[in-house]
Amino acid sequence: MKFNILRAAAVCCAFTLSACGSTRKTSATPPDGRLDKCTIRFSWWGGDDRHEATLKAIDLWNTLHPDITIKPEYGGWDGWQEKTASQISGGTEPDVMQINYDWLVTMSPDGEGFYDLGQLTEQLDLSGLSEDILSFGMVNGRLNAVTVSVTGRGLFYNSGIYERLGASYPTSWEELIALGDVFSKNGLYPLDLDIQSGGTAWYLAAVYVQQKTGREFITMDGELGFTREDIAEALRFYKRLEDSHVIRTIRTRTDEDGNAALYQSPEFIGGRIAGVLEWGSSVGKYESVLADGVLQAGPFLSDGSGNTSGWMIKPSMLYAVSRNTEHPDEAAAFVDFLLNNGECAEILGTTRGIPASRYAEERLEASGKLKGPAQESDELLERLDTLTISPYMELARVKEYCNTALENVSYGTQDADAAADELYASVTGYLEKIRK
Amino acid sequence: MKKRVYSNPVGVSRYTGLLLILPFIAGFLLFTLYPFVCSFAVGMTEYDNIRPARFVGLGNYRTMLRDDNFRKALTVTLKYAAILVPMKLAVSLMTALLLNAEIRGIGIYRTALYIPSILGANLAVVIMWNYLFTSGGLVNQVLSLAGASPVGWYGDPDKALFVVILLRLWEFGSTMIIFLAALRDIPCELYDAARVDGCGSIRAFFAITLPQLRGVIFVNLVLQSIAALQEFNAPYMLTGGGPLKSTYTVGMLIYDEMFRYDMNAGYANAVSWVLFVLISAVVGIMFAVTRGRRRDEK
Repeated sequence: MKFNILRAAAVCCAFTLSACGSTRKTSATPPDGRLDKCTIRFSWWGGDDRHEATLKAIDLWNTLHPDITIKPEYGGWDGWQEKTASQISGGTEPDVMQINYDWLVTMSPDGEGFYDLGQLTEQLDLSGLSEDILSFGMVNGRLNAVTVSVTGRGLFYNSGIYERLGASYPTSWEELIALGDVFSKNGLYPLDLDIQSGGTAWYLAAVYVQQKTGREFITMDGELGFTREDIAEALRFYKRLEDSHVIRTIRTRTDEDGNAALYQSPEFIGGRIAGVLEWGSSVGKYESVLADGVLQAGPFLSDGSGNTSGWMIKPSMLYAVSRNTEHPDEAAAFVDFLLNNGECAEILGTTRGIPASRYAEERLEASGKLKGPAQESDELLERLDTLTISPYMELARVKEYCNTALENVSYGTQDADAAADELYASVTGYLEKIRK
Repeated sequence: MKKRVYSNPVGVSRYTGLLLILPFIAGFLLFTLYPFVCSFAVGMTEYDNIRPARFVGLGNYRTMLRDDNFRKALTVTLKYAAILVPMKLAVSLMTALLLNAEIRGIGIYRTALYIPSILGANLAVVIMWNYLFTSGGLVNQVLSLAGASPVGWYGDPDKALFVVILLRLWEFGSTMIIFLAALRDIPCELYDAARVDGCGSIRAFFAITLPQLRGVIFVNLVLQSIAALQEFNAPYMLTGGGPLKSTYTVGMLIYDEMFRYDMNAGYANAVSWVLFVLISAVVGIMFAVTRGRRRDEK
């Protein structure tokens, strides 16, 4: 009797531990080469401009493929990664997902987290993408995702404010710092950086040090490239921007905007903040809250002697197919439509940046739709000797460590050296752990 | 003696009761007890929802002891609960006393004061709070009209938690309703007799009202303490846990570890269990401290 009770307890424990896992399928549904009647869920994040364009593209798909219904799921960036992570852990993610670059590290470290798109080439034409572009989505020899566009963060300015003050867009770091004086006399700021999910504050500081030292913050292999002194230098540079009135201090920014994103801030919409650092693929959300044609791409800053290195590019976003999808062929056909279809490309325009697919880019060029600040920034970026951002730099926890250091320096609770020591130790330890 | 036999016109058998509560039992086992047990098991592992779980025993609990974020979150959570709960009980009780009066249109006042507690910390409320407390907001405008200098509500680590507390304090409706129901149950004769003996209203409040409400105060204290220790969405929406982690609660830490960072399910579940033990301990202490008085009441 006693033995039976023990055995039952052991079975219960084993059952509990094994059943606690997610409901992910053990093997993916293989493609059958047919497009059957079904419903496909497609999720993306973005601003209103992207939402509106994507919904119109879905309408076009529905007229071309009335048997395959697309169910859209969309929202803003804040909280989107958390939502997708919880869906993936529960095995309830959409069939087709717009994913971020670093998600490949966290959600598919062994390449098994998403469907291998290399198996779906019957429906998905990859000939419009170069080998380099395709390599962004490769994990462990499996094509986990396809790049939608390649982007870099650039500086965008409110031309109306700059004209009114008679100021020129800065071309070097020192010119940017000198603008603080001009703008502060009028109660304005030439630029704004954040320590929220975007983390533009650390990004600009890292570019400054990368340009100065030639070292990458984090390498593609996930090693910390900066020394302790490099990190301290980046933190000191950030503090100098605050002290020179180039950007708001974190305290002022939080007091004025609460937890709101900059493009929702009355200070930006009202013109008190005259510049942002943003991905070319996402700048539409800033454009849409200002008068048409006001936002312009500015030069990428140099050290004043022609060195413009250190600026970075990355796949702005990628399309992935769920490994749990029951409809791999249909999902692949829809991804192909989003990437390569000419009419779809015209509808989507540059709401996801300049398309990586040659077919979509050619169509946009022919129809004269390759214009606006995103295109201007892209053209400027093409002339630079850029670095590819390590996906490890995009990890939320790495950003959190950087933001904490910046916050401590900004509030004066730590000096740059102490904050750098802490940041160096945290990032090194974390990268070691995640690379295992 | 002959055993009485009851007729059974509707087919009630000895198992009918069990059958009727079966949906609840099934729901409880499936959606409460099972995840509860799972959570403990996952807390003993290193698990990211993708790779197979690796058993680490008490490793996650040892990590917690060295985790600065956990220490900060725990301090903020305890401070938040210690300030919010007494304030909320006091405001609810005072409002309930005012609303206990028999005046014209009292139902409208009661409804109006109850509405905020239905709203919760949703987006519309957060936008309203931003209009009130950002530097150009209504509160600072009123302060400047009164000649006071504007206050940095969100940016000052000492004041940001206060803004979050105010939001939850504003939602005092449900505690107020419980107090109001209890106030209406106090026999009028007690007040009449006290008045005849020359007792004033303040003395009557301390000698009659408060002792009569002892049980309800305890219930509200327990419910509000549990809710405050579990706080997540008000600081998440209003401040994101900042500045300098001054509004970062244990609930936010669990969420960040589980979803925002690298799906650290093992650690998140271990922290959840610590929070569970903390809440149980706080409630246990409340029961132990008030045991004597509650026994007197019976």
